[in-house]
Amino acid sequence: MTVAQHRSKDTVSPQETQDGRPKALVLVVPELCKGCELCVYACPSGNLVLSHSLNKKGYHPAIFSYEGTQGPCTACGICYWVCPDLAIWEVRRLKK
Amino acid sequence: MVQIQDDYETKLGQTTGWTGIPTHYCPGCEHGILTRLIGLTLEEMGLLKKAVMVDSVGCSVLAYDYFNCDHIQAPHGRAPAVMAGVKRTHPELIVFTIQGDGDALAIGLLETVYAAIRGEPITVFLYNNSIYGMTGGQMAPTTMPGQITTTTPYGREVESTGNPIDIMKILSPIERVSYLRRGVLVPQPVKAKHGLMYQVKNILDAKRIIENAFKVQQKGGYSLVEFLGTCNVNWKMTVEESKHYPFDQTIKQYPPGVFRDRFGIEGKIL
Amino acid sequence: MTERVLMKGNEALAYGSLNAGLNAYFAYPITPSTETPETLAREYGNPNYPNFRVFLQAASELEAVNMTLGAACTGALAMTATSSPGFSLKQEAISYAAGMEVPFVVINVNRGGPGLGNLGAEQSDYFQTVKGGGHGGYQLIVLAPNSVQEMFDLPRTAFDLAFKYRNPVIILADAFLGQLKEDIHAVPPGNGLTRDTSWATLGSENGTRHILNSLHLDPDDQENHERHLHEKYEKMRDEVASETFLTDDAEIVLVSYGIASRISKNAVSLARDQGLRLGLLRPITLNPFPYDLVRILAGQGKKLLVVELNAGQMVQDVRLAADGTGRVEHLGRLGGNVPSTKQILAKAKEMMD
Repeated sequence: MTVAQHRSKDTVSPQETQDGRPKALVLVVPELCKGCELCVYACPSGNLVLSHSLNKKGYHPAIFSYEGTQGPCTACGICYWVCPDLAIWEVRRLKK
Repeated sequence: MVQIQDDYETKLGQTTGWTGIPTHYCPGCEHGILTRLIGLTLEEMGLLKKAVMVDSVGCSVLAYDYFNCDHIQAPHGRAPAVMAGVKRTHPELIVFTIQGDGDALAIGLLETVYAAIRGEPITVFLYNNSIYGMTGGQMAPTTMPGQITTTTPYGREVESTGNPIDIMKILSPIERVSYLRRGVLVPQPVKAKHGLMYQVKNILDAKRIIENAFKVQQKGGYSLVEFLGTCNVNWKMTVEESKHYPFDQTIKQYPPGVFRDRFGIEGKIL
Repeated sequence: MTERVLMKGNEALAYGSLNAGLNAYFAYPITPSTETPETLAREYGNPNYPNFRVFLQAASELEAVNMTLGAACTGALAMTATSSPGFSLKQEAISYAAGMEVPFVVINVNRGGPGLGNLGAEQSDYFQTVKGGGHGGYQLIVLAPNSVQEMFDLPRTAFDLAFKYRNPVIILADAFLGQLKEDIHAVPPGNGLTRDTSWATLGSENGTRHILNSLHLDPDDQENHERHLHEKYEKMRDEVASETFLTDDAEIVLVSYGIASRISKNAVSLARDQGLRLGLLRPITLNPFPYDLVRILAGQGKKLLVVELNAGQMVQDVRLAADGTGRVEHLGRLGGNVPSTKQILAKAKEMMD
């Protein structure tokens, strides 16, 4: 599977915005996720939860929750480092 | 839907060290983390095109699907010998393997020890989860006394099967060994104000350890890096439960640390 | 090297490999093959053999053959020698090499067996070597020298064939040949073997990954892979080689390889002096086996006497080829004993009645 094929399934969720755009965001590829919840508990601001729907493998993939429990995403990258399935594809932030 | 435009910069992106093929590892298994860390390190150090991975027999047997480099399949336990054959005929290649506790410490103990004795400039990553994962949860050389596995269903008895072996104790006196390091790949569960949280400091340390190991190979030295990992499926635990076990049990038997460092490659970071 | 040299069989294997451009040798001592690694250890660093880059004594037969496997994966000319008990240990790696299509050469100097056996010459590893002693459906090219000259010449052929078919090749000698000293014509070292190594794991510089693997979890993938291997083995039959001696008008043809064929050849000459029409068919490749030649000889009404140092192994292949058209008998000695020419003639006379 190429990068392009993976990215067609991106999920992104906006948090605190600056001129209507989120300061930081994370791209999760749901088809790669196995619902292990490591990112859910690793995220310091609680921005990730398991989706109610299922991916093709039958797992509940991780997605951003629209209400971060401890605050907005800060692009800290902890979810990226902890994901064992390389499903957290990119961590992005607004350029200064 | 948010428009992602050029105003954003990628702070962390996926590594080209990974082929993009989804892994077969169980949910929560640190093999996947190890895959990303090694792939990323090889990419950052510019070693991907010179890398030859020897695929050992264990959960990492399908590594040829995941790591974006050349691959050679080795028979069970023989990876250090195969790596020595490659490296001695082509010293410019970077050779490494990921072995499970059975591959490196049971059937392959002779190959592991002799490669260390000769100081072959190879890199061994040993994934220690105290069990035989791929074959369905049998006793490993690193299984704890009393631990329940499918071949020790009443708990491991040391009177019959001996004590778990610590490869660091076996290899650290060997003269030509350059770098022996045990790390923990498991995110550490802690109690936060709002409930359970995982800390990933171990994983960031693991990346530095992997870099060190490849630097040691570039300097011509032998390195063996042991990472403690989990196996929630064969330990019969949930992902969350399995993250506690290494910190409650395994590190008492297998403390992390530096066991040999001939080149002084470990900085003050850790 | 001078024109004609007195040399021991095991030494000839070493010098022959060096002349072919041997790159790497991984050793484990076992009688009666140890002179091969000892010779190579002495010649390591000799500027006459610039291709000989790696000599290493391993800690076990398993370590030695797996190092050979690794070196061969880089396209190097890699070799290891052993004798029967060590050859048993190497089967797993040989099976892997066959599945991965990696070319290397293993020498088996057959001694007494089974088990620890003894140090005498036997040909009791025929089944193991020729029919594939490791797991899985694979075939090896097996070359059987019968003189020190052939021990010198065959390593180059072995490497040629190994790389031509990307398959392991075995040189099956015996304890007698390993220790035998004969004068041979030793050609000077050449420039090494030119060969295709585009498949070798030398890094992925141009973006292509090289994967040498024998695991195919999907049944269709595995079936296709095995079919591909067996198509290759069909093509390998072009390499069949044998030698005949006075078979045209023979009444009884001796079928024999290795040291047994030397005695058989003498028996043929002795018989002819006595007016008995004997002949000799000596397979040089045990796999591919000269089935067609045996079929022809049997079809001509000739009787076949298989003389081998075992209780009956190659005779089964001869019977297969004869396919009921001829009378096939066996004469064997064991434990390092060899048949005398008188014994062979006595048996042949029996068969004539």
